[in-house]
Order: sequence, then C-alpha cells, then structure tokens
Amino acid sequence: MRRAGSCGSDVQWCFTQVKGTTDLDVSEADIISTVEFNHTGELLATGDKGGRVVIFQREQETKNQPHRQGEYNVYSTFQSHEPEFDYLKSLEIEEKINKIRWLPQQNAAHFLLSTNDKTIKLWKVSERDKRPEGYNLKDEEGRMKDLSTVTVLQVPVLKPMDLMVEVTPRKIFANAHTYHINSISVNSDCETYMSADDLRINLWHLGITDRSFNIVDIKPVDMEELTEVITAAEFHPHHCNLLVYSSSKGTLRLCDMRAAALCDKHAKLFEEPEDPSNRFFFSEITSSVSDVKFSHSGRYMMTRDYLTVKVWDLNMETKPIEIYQIHDYLRSKLCSLYENDCIFDKFECAWNGSDRLLLNSDFTIPFKPGFPEYS
Amino acid sequence: MYCKRTLICTSFRYMLAKGTKRKFSEHEDGLEGKVSCGHGPSKVSYTLQRQAIFNISIMKLYQQQPLMEPSLKKTVLINNMLRRIQEELKREGNLRPVFIAPSQSSDTLNDNYRDVQPAFNHFASPPAQVTSTTPPDLCLTPASVLEEDAFSSCHTVTLGPSKPQNHLQKDTFSSALDEIEELCPSSTTTDSKISREQSSEGGNEKPEEVQENRPSETRFADPLPGNFEITTTSFLTDLTLDDILFADIDTSMYDFDPCASATGPSSKMTAVTADDILKTLSPYSSQSVTPSQPFKMDLAELDHIMEVLVGS
Repeated sequence: MRRAGSCGSDVQWCFTQVKGTTDLDVSEADIISTVEFNHTGELLATGDKGGRVVIFQREQETKNQPHRQGEYNVYSTFQSHEPEFDYLKSLEIEEKINKIRWLPQQNAAHFLLSTNDKTIKLWKVSERDKRPEGYNLKDEEGRMKDLSTVTVLQVPVLKPMDLMVEVTPRKIFANAHTYHINSISVNSDCETYMSADDLRINLWHLGITDRSFNIVDIKPVDMEELTEVITAAEFHPHHCNLLVYSSSKGTLRLCDMRAAALCDKHAKLFEEPEDPSNRFFFSEITSSVSDVKFSHSGRYMMTRDYLTVKVWDLNMETKPIEIYQIHDYLRSKLCSLYENDCIFDKFECAWNGSDRLLLNSDFTIPFKPGFPEYS
Repeated sequence: MYCKRTLICTSFRYMLAKGTKRKFSEHEDGLEGKVSCGHGPSKVSYTLQRQAIFNISIMKLYQQQPLMEPSLKKTVLINNMLRRIQEELKREGNLRPVFIAPSQSSDTLNDNYRDVQPAFNHFASPPAQVTSTTPPDLCLTPASVLEEDAFSSCHTVTLGPSKPQNHLQKDTFSSALDEIEELCPSSTTTDSKISREQSSEGGNEKPEEVQENRPSETRFADPLPGNFEITTTSFLTDLTLDDILFADIDTSMYDFDPCASATGPSSKMTAVTADDILKTLSPYSSQSVTPSQPFKMDLAELDHIMEVLVGS
C-alpha cells in the first residue's frame, strides 16, 4: 500500500511497507514491543512479546531504480528470551523484549543488545556464505571416512554456499536488576553500556558479565516514600561521561559520571514549571516521560510524554525550547484512558539522521508526519 | 528531499485481553459523559469525578495479575493520585473530626453511623452510589472494617512465604491499621513497627510498595459536605493497637496452615475472628455487642471521651 503525504516544503512521506499482519486478531506473542534501526539503517530489529527478535535487511538499491528506497526483507529470526519463573517471589518473568540497541559496527558482524525485564543479552549476527569442502578425514556429511579409502591428501577449499545468517548469544548479563529494566544505552566509548530499571541504573562493560556498577539509585530508604521512578535513560552521543534519565514526574536529570561514583546528584535538572491554572487530575500521569533521546549533535534532547513531545536545549534547564501537542483532543478523555490503562502506554520518539525531523509513535495513525524543521 | 530512512512505525500497545486489539470505544460511557475534566466544573461534579477517580484507583491497585509482578511505575502513579486526592480532601476539611458536637442527639449520631462508608468497602460500586446509605450492619464499626479483609490476612501475613494474594491482604490490613493509628496518636510507632515487621516477613519489595496505599484508603468517608464523618471509631481513641489486635484473640478455634491458600481456611477465619474482635472490644466500650447489631454509643460515654481528648 502506498500513500503519499507531504509536510513541509522538502519532505515527502511514503508509506512503503507493512510487515506482519493487519488482521484484527493477533496472538499476544506476536505483538511488537520494540523497534530499532542500526546506525546505517540497513538493518531493522524488532522485538515482540514472545521474546523473539526479527531482523529485517534493506535490499540493495539497484542500478535500474536508484531512487526507489530498498524494501526490507526478513534477514534473521531468533528467540532472544524465554519466560522464566522467579521462585523466590513466585512471580513470572516476562519474555517480552523491552529494548534493542545495536552496537556500532566494528567488523563484518553486527552486534545487538536485547533485554527483557531482568536480563540483557549480547547477540552476534554474522553471515556465512562460504564453507570448507574437501576434508581428508570427514566426508561431505561429516561422517568419518574409512581410512583405507583415503589415498591422497587434499587441502580443503572454501566454496560458496547459500547465505546463512547465524545469530549466537555472546554474553548474558543477568541478576543485576531487582526492578523491571526499561532502557539500555550503549556508550560512545563502545566499551560500556548502561541498563536502567525503575529505581536504579547500572553500568556494564560489554565484555564482563559477572559484575556491574550501580551509578544511579533513587530507591528511598522507606519504600512508602517512593513517589518517582526512572522511566528512560540514555548516554550522550559524544561525551562518554554524560547520561540523562527521565522520571515519572516529567523531570530530566543530566548526570556526569566524573563527579562521583554514584550519580545521585544531578549535574543539571530539566523541569518545566507546572502551570497551576492548567493543573488537572492527570497532570502528573500525562507528564511522565516515556522516552528521551539525544539529538545526533548532542546539543538537544527530545522527550515524549503522553500528550506532548518536547525539545530541550542542554544549556537551558528551566523550560523546553519547543513543545508539540500530539493528541490534545484526548485531554477530555483522560478519565476513560485512565480507567482502561491506556494512559500508561509508553510511546517512543526519534531524531532523523540529520536532526532535522522529529518522529514519534502514536496509536491513532500509522505515523505522524514530521514536525516543522528543527536544526 | 526524501527521508533517507524508510520507517516502519508500529504502535507500542499492551493488550488487555489476550489476542484482541484494544480499541477506544466511542460508546464508552466513562466518566466524561457525567463530569468534565477540570475545566470549570461545578463543585459537585468535581467532587463526583474525584470520587470516581479514587474508586478507579483503588480498583486498579487490587486488580493485579496473579503471577506477574505489577508495574512499579503504574503503582507509584496510582498511589500519587490517591495521595493527592487525600490531601485535597484534608484541605477541604472533609476528613472526620475526632470531636462531635455535644448537642447531637443519639438518633442523629446513629444516622451518621449509617451514612459512613469506609471507602474500600465500596470500591467496586459506581460513583453514583457514593452518597447512598448502606445497610447498617455493613459499615458501622472499625471491627467490621477490619474483619472483611484484614484479620483474615493477619495470620496469613505472619506465616510462610508471601504469595501474591498476601499482598492484597497485607494492604487492606495495613490500611485498617492505619485507621486505628489515626485514632491513637500514641500508638504511631507501634503501627509502623508492625508494618515493618510485615514487610520484613514478606521479604521483598512488593509489600512495602503496596503498603503505600495505607494513608489513602481509610481516610475517606463520605466526601460530600454536610455529612458528619463521625464514625464509631471515635470511641477507640483510648485504645492502643496492641489492645485491639493482640488482646486475647482465641486462636484455638481454627488452625492455620502456612501453605494453605487464602480461600478456604481464611474465610473460616474471617468469621471467627470478627466475633473475637468484637468481643475484645466490648470491655472497652462497656457494652456487649454482636456483629449484627448496630453499635450504639451512650452520649455520656462520648462526652467522657471528648473530655479525655480535649484534656479538660
């Protein structure tokens, strides 16, 4: 199905592909829970509630149709997480994939991190299109040869074969989170990454699985005083010591890891002052930030809450520089949305490659056209 | 300029029922049909909406999937909502004052008792019923409040590993505790000590989180103005928590199995302990009471209690 719409003078949007099913009845396990492009845009990974990851690859642009954007085809599918049972608490641990993050590519293989509520896994995605043939001791099926038939020594040669995509688990980072992991973010140093749950953020080394460092902890001594949780976190794209995390109260905290081992004290606090005349029952719930992303330049941050997208300048903590209302018409329906839990839905946002467009996910329409140019 | 990346956007939604897409129904009555959301509503509609949101919030906290850990963010947001409503009510002066006007006749007092509705007894009822009177034997005494959920959980809490049902029961128990705590300022430390014991026995984070509900549920009686929220609890002011909870409850009448589920044995326990509670209360109120009869308080008794409180 193709549909063209225009927004702005130089951007045209086309609805190119639909993956999956458009039936009304889908099995719960097939519901996509997270989506992530890799850095070049060649690969698209999706995670679903059944713990599977499906990777799509963009087909190469052909000489015949250079303007046509490549279509995405299934590249690989694998089971990332399985449902588990916490015997201590008598609770199930969902296999739903909460987040996928690609590592910057350093060789022919691709690496990605996928996480459910409790465990993060590092996967290696590699291609195999050749295989060795002509072993001396084994035949083509791998069975041992009868040595009496071997008369000549040969050197095995690599012969082309059908492309095979292998996905192997390389590391499993487990048992570091008491609460549900909501975010992972790879550092610009390409050696460390962080994982954030509702109350804590841990720093890992990509090569070390048996320990992590806690860098943020907002758990109060008395849990009854808990009024705020961490909702999203991300590393700065260039400064490996800076990270930002958002809260359910709509605040953003920029932390500098050079200041202290435990970054409980923020370096900057970004909070829009509440307008008392505009306060309503669901002010706090709708202000809870569901996603935060740095721009590629590193100068700006974008946050998504239930009704708005806000763009912040790192140099100004007092208020955002842009606010976009997403579905303001829902303001009068918040009671029902609270009743059926829709108000707790999480939406994501993203910058395009040149930081000129903001994109966000929504539930009413397939996608929302980009906002006015932003640079 | 074409956008370089072709995006396949998805909506991130969590389904409520297995296998069906959640749709916002246009015919959903909801609450919007009845009240507006904070833009210049009348006082009554605002109050009704607040009460409705309160009821919904309570329902949400109790509707937890049996085997899955509830979302902490959701729990915290709902708790904050309840707390805010509670503070608003406090500011408006709708919480029950401890004193009662001496000129009140006992008949009026009895009427007030009947009107009082501990909020979480009615969390399942629609908002319109907030102001209706309920059968007298449902909402009279703190014991009737306690008996429903709390004391059946009192013993299950102390036993064995905490199961998901226990969190629900712990919560109502601690909310009942809170109600008593409110009446007995001197016993605050006892209360928090008990709740700490509960949470340490639970051995995990969840009971502590769920116990956040405590302040909110028990403080709401009828939010409409003009209603005396004098409850029968006022007569308990000179009691301490220990007196009520741990005084001479005859535990020999039932046996409790640490591994038993909450349904069978505890329902039996419920019936038994309610009687026990009321019997233990009788020495303090110097009246013999049975669960089915409305609680009648002598005016002189009330005066006496008032004097004790006022310190005159």
